Amino acid sequence: MTMTNKAVVLTGTSPLFAELHQLFAEKGYQVLSLAQAATNSAAVAFAVEVSNLDLEQKAEEIRQLDSLLAPDVPILTTSLAITATEVASWTKHPERVCGFGTLVPLVERELIELAPALQTEAKTLQAAEAFFQSLGKETEAVNDEVGLVFPRILSLIINEAAFTLMEKAATARDIDIAMKKGTNYPYGPLEWADRIGLDEIYAISRGLQRDLAEERYRTAPLLRKLVLAGRVGVRSGQGFYAYESKAEAKA
Amino acid sequence: MNTKTVGVIGAGTMGAGIALVCIRKGHQVVLLDANQAVLDKALTYLQSITGKDVEKGKISEQEKADMLDRAKLVSEMEQLAACDIVIEAVPERLDLKKGIFSELSRICRPDALLLTNTSSISITQIAGGLPHPERILGFHFFNPAPVMPLVEVIRGKKSSEDNVQAAYRFATELGKVPVLVTDTPGFIVNRIARPYYNEALRILGDHVAEVEQIDRIMKRAGGFKMGPFELQDMIGIDINFATTESVYTDFFHEGRFKPSRIQQRMVQAGSLGRKTGEGFYDYDK
Repeated sequence: MTMTNKAVVLTGTSPLFAELHQLFAEKGYQVLSLAQAATNSAAVAFAVEVSNLDLEQKAEEIRQLDSLLAPDVPILTTSLAITATEVASWTKHPERVCGFGTLVPLVERELIELAPALQTEAKTLQAAEAFFQSLGKETEAVNDEVGLVFPRILSLIINEAAFTLMEKAATARDIDIAMKKGTNYPYGPLEWADRIGLDEIYAISRGLQRDLAEERYRTAPLLRKLVLAGRVGVRSGQGFYAYESKAEAKA
Repeated sequence: MNTKTVGVIGAGTMGAGIALVCIRKGHQVVLLDANQAVLDKALTYLQSITGKDVEKGKISEQEKADMLDRAKLVSEMEQLAACDIVIEAVPERLDLKKGIFSELSRICRPDALLLTNTSSISITQIAGGLPHPERILGFHFFNPAPVMPLVEVIRGKKSSEDNVQAAYRFATELGKVPVLVTDTPGFIVNRIARPYYNEALRILGDHVAEVEQIDRIMKRAGGFKMGPFELQDMIGIDINFATTESVYTDFFHEGRFKPSRIQQRMVQAGSLGRKTGEGFYDYDK
């Protein structure tokens, strides 16, 4: 079987966009923008949509994909800030919509979570599993809830670290050291957030708060303000930490 | 490095581990426990670990003998009078700790540093009402103390800056990595780590994913060394639940820390993890 002629539409504003674009290309997929797909929709095998912070744009692009593509083309959408079931509800063919969730950097993710919507057909889920496996990733299907498992748990840890920092109970550096040296976390929560993108973490936190409506999911005001100020982490040169240059931050 | 005389109160796992860390760095240790059997066990532990260090070629027989000579095992509080620093490591009961610090305030020099290894009790509450509260601080090791590098140095409401710095330096001299934190529930680690367990339990309770799935995802997608349920089984589900309850209570029932009924039922059933042979997973007894 050959992947080289398969085209994937990729659209959305998450930091995942750039990394997925690169990964798709490396694995032999032709990557199309929404505009390119409009003139060549017959070639499209999959659509992948990754907006998390701007849900109006997410809805707009999902509707465009749904009207553009043949009804049997799977639409994979990030269910980090909203359930896959809600995204599917925006479409005329909800059975071809399936949620997924992961965070950058993808090189550190051996496994990617899938979340079928209530409306998702079995063959859509199977296609989604095969697609991510073709990218060299394991998959784990979980039930549909905002943030799935890893992004949800990590966003709560980062949110609590943001509360701790906001209260000046400890410095950012000491918070990160404590979590690495006291509990063996792979990264400190604040440096981790800076690498993932604070906008992504905020989108998950806000989504949990919106859908589950509990004090438990209250976003740390510091996290929200940093995102509003454009300080989303390494990508923008400033987040919980300041970075002199993007190159240095990546080193 | 100047060597100090360090009192360690409580010769259980934590106290004995702290004593080992101190004698390895050349400090004189006065290890106190009211229970002779616990002291005997602590001495056996110190002999066994330093013996293994000799076998591994890390230290000589002479160095081992010197190390053990530096540890004095005692059963009377008065024998801590000459200590420069005292580290309390008794069970997590406020009345017990208050009694000890009250006695230490009477026995020790006014400039002796008095540290508590509490993981969940407010330093300010322990020091409240005692003379010289400025020298009472939190000094929180992680289990096992000889292995885990972190020490949380906790600043109580009345801890002085000089003493905070002195405790920070002492942790560094012990070869540990200190962090500073104000006296807030759970300090840093036990606060920020709560969602790792608590949200995993919530996800389980809502049937978003099952135990094995959640553990696999956190390791394979998240890069954590152990999944939240494997970790609870290792720590002890009762210990983990008690920590969550304590942080929740001390935050005046802030919703972010609300404990899990699933976890409570495990504790009620006596399914506490590896130590009872069953927890979220089954173990051979």
